[in-house]
Amino acid sequence: MTTGPTLAPVRPPTVGTAAGNVVLRLAYLLLLLFGFLVAIETMSKAIKALGDVGMLGGGDKEELFAGVSNPFAGLALGVLFTVLVQSSSTTTATIVAVVGSGALSVQHAVPMILGANVGTTITNTLVSIGHVRHTRDFRRAFAAATVHDFFNLMMVAVMLPVELATGFLSRSAGWLTGALGESGGAEYKSPLKTSIKAVHNWLQSTVEGVGVEGKALGVTLLVLGILLTFLCLHQVTRNMRRLMAGRIEGAINRTLESSGWIGVLVGVLITVAVQSSSITTSLLVPMCAAGVMRLRNALPVMLGANIGTTVTAMLASLAQDNPDALTIALVHLIFNSIGVVVCMTVAPVRRIPILLARGLARRATRSKLWVVGYVFGVFVITPLVGWFVWRSAG
Amino acid sequence: MASWLLSDSRGYEEILRRFSQMLEDGRHIFDAAANALLGGTDTEIIRADLFATDQRINETEQQIRRLIVVHGSVHGAQSFPSLLVMMSLVKDAERIGDYAKNLFDLATAKPSLGGDEDRSKLVELKDQVSTLLVRGRNIHESQDAEAARAFLSDADRVQDACDALLARFIGLEGENAAARALTLRYFKRVASHVSNVVTALVMPLDKLDFFDEP
Repeated sequence: MTTGPTLAPVRPPTVGTAAGNVVLRLAYLLLLLFGFLVAIETMSKAIKALGDVGMLGGGDKEELFAGVSNPFAGLALGVLFTVLVQSSSTTTATIVAVVGSGALSVQHAVPMILGANVGTTITNTLVSIGHVRHTRDFRRAFAAATVHDFFNLMMVAVMLPVELATGFLSRSAGWLTGALGESGGAEYKSPLKTSIKAVHNWLQSTVEGVGVEGKALGVTLLVLGILLTFLCLHQVTRNMRRLMAGRIEGAINRTLESSGWIGVLVGVLITVAVQSSSITTSLLVPMCAAGVMRLRNALPVMLGANIGTTVTAMLASLAQDNPDALTIALVHLIFNSIGVVVCMTVAPVRRIPILLARGLARRATRSKLWVVGYVFGVFVITPLVGWFVWRSAG
Repeated sequence: MASWLLSDSRGYEEILRRFSQMLEDGRHIFDAAANALLGGTDTEIIRADLFATDQRINETEQQIRRLIVVHGSVHGAQSFPSLLVMMSLVKDAERIGDYAKNLFDLATAKPSLGGDEDRSKLVELKDQVSTLLVRGRNIHESQDAEAARAFLSDADRVQDACDALLARFIGLEGENAAARALTLRYFKRVASHVSNVVTALVMPLDKLDFFDEP
């Protein structure tokens, strides 16, 4: 009998979650969140600066975004940007910064926010393609990935016309912003905002110190802002995923047999914790592929992820003085909350994305052209058409 | 939300806990069936408990598989070796239940198990296999590699004893030794499956189930 020293890995390598480690990670998290808010402030100030020097067109900041007065173009731009950065959080935070700078109105930003919701689902669709060699697994994985797409597309198809006709989302969010502003006290000088501005001013003076000025200063700060936003959110997600892995696992285990509000709550909690709806939804794809989680149980978690992801835009609005920044963040929250409430309380509505996803998955297993057509159609061609509309109008 | 943030659910610990329960159920069901066969316990008295326990073993195996998929999805590639081992081990634990049920089926037929000498040897082997089941579970919980090596050596001896007795039964003339041969076969398989569980502590993943081969 062999009695060598090699051990089979019965127990997995333990990820350090000792108290000291947790405290360090939490401190790092706070630092990253602060960096994220500085990034939003930097982006917002950069756009303002570019407008002031006339780079956005004759001193009118709104001209840069003139094309997005076409809601389809705005929607497509939201999808395209999110597909490119693979993060709806980065998209919505950027939109908040742009709105906060005054370069984009809330009304014109609403379709972009809705587009971010659609664009973010490409991540789990790509994850599902990893199962393509195993027909049965792929059918379940693709259905799990696209059920989120169909729900988001369905919500956009319903809510965007309602918003365009009535301004329901922007008006509700505007009213809520006013109510929050009144309750918060308009004259309160937030120490958080003061410190964010101080760090931003230091960053700006550092860039100016190396001889960058005028338009170049604005462009440099804008690029720095976008990069810092992306970097901070990426690090927050990575750090929190590691820190929260055990809790996430426990929460998902509880939803395997549940298809109700518990799933929604789990989706919200995981997404708020890791600051990424893509992480939450992508986790579900392999579970659905293996058949241990049913599509009807996965959908509520995905709906919860839609709500959880709105926290990023809300956080971003903390760095802004312009109340419109909070308004557009609230638009995101209201839009996704309405979708979740309707879907969870009206069973026939809940069945629509499930039926569509299953139907598409069946076709996709018969011919992979459906996969190619779907991914390129929804996430590449449609947004590119919108981008061209935007460019031609701009 | 606060309680969720503050409580850390360790998924792999839960998998190990349920696996230990599977092994404990396996020992219980083996003892019950073997006692019915060798000790004369009324099979109808233990039937319901035995089948319920076997059902619980099967359900736990499925629960563990689900937990494995979730754990792998959340923790990624670093967890795969441990999870692949566990996928193999739950099958062994489940097979212990199956062989115990085979022993029970044999007991319901009330077969002849030979004279007192043969019966007492079978009882002795039954006790040794039962002890292996208890030790196997304890070693798996403690992850004690030294104890695992000692266990595997003892398990080898039990299996050799089964083989030796089996050879004697097969050589008997004019006597139906089928029930005794089957009993020994089942004992040996149970000992082999619990050995597989313990090999995970001392063998690399690709060598699981092949601990006695050069």
